[in-house]
Amino acid sequence: MAEEESQFEEFDQIDFLKDRHVRFFQRTLQVLPERYASLETTRLTIIFFALSGLDVLDSLDVIDRNTMIEWIYSLQVLPTEDQVNLSRCGFRGSSHIGIPYSTKGPGVLHPYDSGHVAMTYTGLCSLLILGDDLSRVNKQACLAGLRALQLEDGSFYAVPEGSENDIRFIYCAASICYMLDDWSGMDIQKAIEYIRGSLSYDNGFGQGAGRESHGGWTYCAIASLCLMGRLEEALSQRELDRIRRWCIMRQQSGFQGRPNKPVDTCYSFWVGATLELLDVFQYTNFDKNRSFILSTQDRLVGGFAKWPDSHPDPLHAYLGLCGLSLIGEPSLRKVHPALNITQRAFQHVQQLQQTWRGSTGSCSRQH
Amino acid sequence: MHGRVKVKSTAQQEEEKRKEREKKLKIYVAARDACFSKRKEGIWDDEALQVTQQLLSSNPDFATLWNYRREILMHLETVRDEEEVQKIYQAELSFLESCLKVNPKSYGSWHHRGWVSTRLPRPDWARELGLCDRCLSLDDRNFHCWDYRRMVVKMSGVPVDQELAFTDRLIGSNFSNYSSWHYRSTLLPLLHPESPEPHSPCREPRRASPPPSPQTHSHRVCEEQLLKEYELVQNAFFTDPNDQSAWFYYRWLLGRAEREEMISCVYVSRDEERVAVAFSRPVNAQSVGLLLVLDGQPQRVEWRSVHPRFKHSPVWICDLPPGTISDVTNEHNLTVHWTEKHTHRDCALYTGRSESWCRDSATDQELFRSELSVEKTSVLQSELQSCNQLQELEPLNKWCLLTIILLMRALDPLGYEKETLAHFQTLKEVDSMRSAYYSDLCSKFMIENTILKMEYAEVRVFSISDKNLTTLCHLDQLLLVTHINLSSNQLQRLPPQFAMLQCLEVLEADNNSIDNLEGLFHLPKLEEVLLKNNQISTLADLQPLASCPKLKRLDLRGNPVTQTANIESELTELLPSVTDLQL
Repeated sequence: MAEEESQFEEFDQIDFLKDRHVRFFQRTLQVLPERYASLETTRLTIIFFALSGLDVLDSLDVIDRNTMIEWIYSLQVLPTEDQVNLSRCGFRGSSHIGIPYSTKGPGVLHPYDSGHVAMTYTGLCSLLILGDDLSRVNKQACLAGLRALQLEDGSFYAVPEGSENDIRFIYCAASICYMLDDWSGMDIQKAIEYIRGSLSYDNGFGQGAGRESHGGWTYCAIASLCLMGRLEEALSQRELDRIRRWCIMRQQSGFQGRPNKPVDTCYSFWVGATLELLDVFQYTNFDKNRSFILSTQDRLVGGFAKWPDSHPDPLHAYLGLCGLSLIGEPSLRKVHPALNITQRAFQHVQQLQQTWRGSTGSCSRQH
Repeated sequence: MHGRVKVKSTAQQEEEKRKEREKKLKIYVAARDACFSKRKEGIWDDEALQVTQQLLSSNPDFATLWNYRREILMHLETVRDEEEVQKIYQAELSFLESCLKVNPKSYGSWHHRGWVSTRLPRPDWARELGLCDRCLSLDDRNFHCWDYRRMVVKMSGVPVDQELAFTDRLIGSNFSNYSSWHYRSTLLPLLHPESPEPHSPCREPRRASPPPSPQTHSHRVCEEQLLKEYELVQNAFFTDPNDQSAWFYYRWLLGRAEREEMISCVYVSRDEERVAVAFSRPVNAQSVGLLLVLDGQPQRVEWRSVHPRFKHSPVWICDLPPGTISDVTNEHNLTVHWTEKHTHRDCALYTGRSESWCRDSATDQELFRSELSVEKTSVLQSELQSCNQLQELEPLNKWCLLTIILLMRALDPLGYEKETLAHFQTLKEVDSMRSAYYSDLCSKFMIENTILKMEYAEVRVFSISDKNLTTLCHLDQLLLVTHINLSSNQLQRLPPQFAMLQCLEVLEADNNSIDNLEGLFHLPKLEEVLLKNNQISTLADLQPLASCPKLKRLDLRGNPVTQTANIESELTELLPSVTDLQL
């Protein structure tokens, strides 16, 4: 009996403060502290963290969906009348370039206005989370914009003007193709070759060939292959077992992103979801994982930080929730490990795709 | 979003900060607008460089501005002479240094520096390497810096042995420098490549697919260098046995290439007029060019996996047209071709025989021992000795225990079975966070040992009871098994993969926690199923059994389902072929 009581005390100290997190995300959607100014160009990703976070908390009712949907559509880079900018289409991160607000076409030509693959990905996710039917998304333009970003080696740029290229953007591309149910947006085979080439000697994945293995890139690799439906084709049983081993060794209490680095809340999702996709998440220690995540919880303002006694931020707040969801935290919705949205939102995607297939009479054009 | 530690501040400090921020914001907005209006007008001049510089100093992640800056610089290349261009780019490098001081992990800054280095008329690679050294001394795990260094090395043609010496220095001063071990793994195969493996004479030259990943094959390093590396890495883990770096590297050094892809077994049965094929890895039979030839005639057959769940499976089945092989007085020759891999397997069905098979034994395939190089037994033995020495000094070190287990399995899995089980027990205690994973791993090794024993005895009976089994695996190796005993373990389900046991006649699985029988699906020869004391709780759980046409005997005593109302009559209806039912 005495044991039970002390366990209860422990639980009180590390209880999950759901309401605080809801308010944290609400505030994120209203205004952000000054130190986030440098993230303005990627604002849509922050919106995604907040929206998906609220979805995981089953609290989307606190926001005005329609206004949000309109704003996201205003970020779509649409084709111009003469369609000369098709390879630059997609979604932008925010209005920082200064294109006049508009939620419908035709697009306006600007030398530096283009989609960004991570914004297209989070934009589509956000619309789906909000229950939108994507009817105002110019799918063909998005896919054309996506094709323009893939390089010979299979990896992707983020923007058509060029940027660094690596496995993160393959994941964005795979998610986009999956959501739009159209794989003509990328050369799957080349992407698989790049992914395989990124497998390191210690059986984690690097950002590209010869680069150090890392929990985030390992997630991108495995989740991409799962979305493509090619996991077992691309990796042998032995490779998969080795990858499982590398991942499972990342748990120290929470999870670390690389060997000999401190544990960080976000890896409870990146590595946790990878283990879930590889069918071995149940072998991790849930209690220690939960204790660590909750030790980074901010009891005053809500949200989670990467480490204890640090400032929370939307990314770690969202991924901390996803990490808790994976271990079955009662008040949280389940998260789809490959697409990184709730199962509820995922079902919405599936229903939408069924209606699309029904009306065109064609199956998913998977290569 | 990088971790920022909380710092308390007074109200006055807050106010001062606020005023400073407002001032900064005004300047920022003015600069941004000036920038874009210039861009719009197509102005690429020094002033434009100035303006973008101001903005990027405070926000190096504004990727569009880096692109604009590159446009300006490329334009200036065309209108200035080489000396001036050299100066401009050098100034660019200085500017980038200050950006990197503020944020050493900015993708935009590193990418731009890489771009500048390739356009500088007279690059100073020594300076670039010096920058990397400084950056790494502050944070030796900064992968941006490592990646940049790799690019510099490539561009400047720094010889690989020099870089290897660089890792020597880093590792020498700090063994737990994981990034250095990683870098070493990429350099070693370049400097000391092993000669390519000779083709085995009886096989057609094979195409590797999927393509091997560059890093996962240490067989690409020649033996002489490998032995030196073993020494180096041993120094590391003897110095600090708790550091992961050396152990992961060690594991890679000991590793071995993937085995060849092939058809591992062909089984044919006259009774069902069916052919079952097992592959060395899961395939999609529809897309790999699978061809069945019977007595010289290609057959049109439909291949299906053992369970509708699987598009990819190691085992595929097809039915032959009725009457093709049913006459026991006829002899038949079958060949299954895996055209994609240019390999095939023959199987002869003799007169008087109702079934036949052709299979490489697990030992021949080196199925379970091929994690490590088997031909270097003496090396492995000396490695095992070293690890055992360390284990005496550090009995609670999990890395050491894991490595010992690995080496034992490589040397003699059956001979070392007792020690392996004992080590797993210790491992579960010292690294209890992963005890479920170790239970699973141990189950896998016990199954492998049982398969080896079964083959040595040349029987088709697989018996592994009372071994704390938590999971089933290698089911594709059990295609020919007729009797299986899994009693008194901790199994919770018979997964869909269990349907690969196409020859199974008797299943004993008493005293487990089984509540799921998905894998007992269309098993054509299954006659007896013993499931006493399990967790079968509903009639629906027993549904798969209805697909087994020859099921005669079923023992469900000690399962919750026996308490269901009218269970006996329900079962008679569901499973009409069962004559011996025990509840």
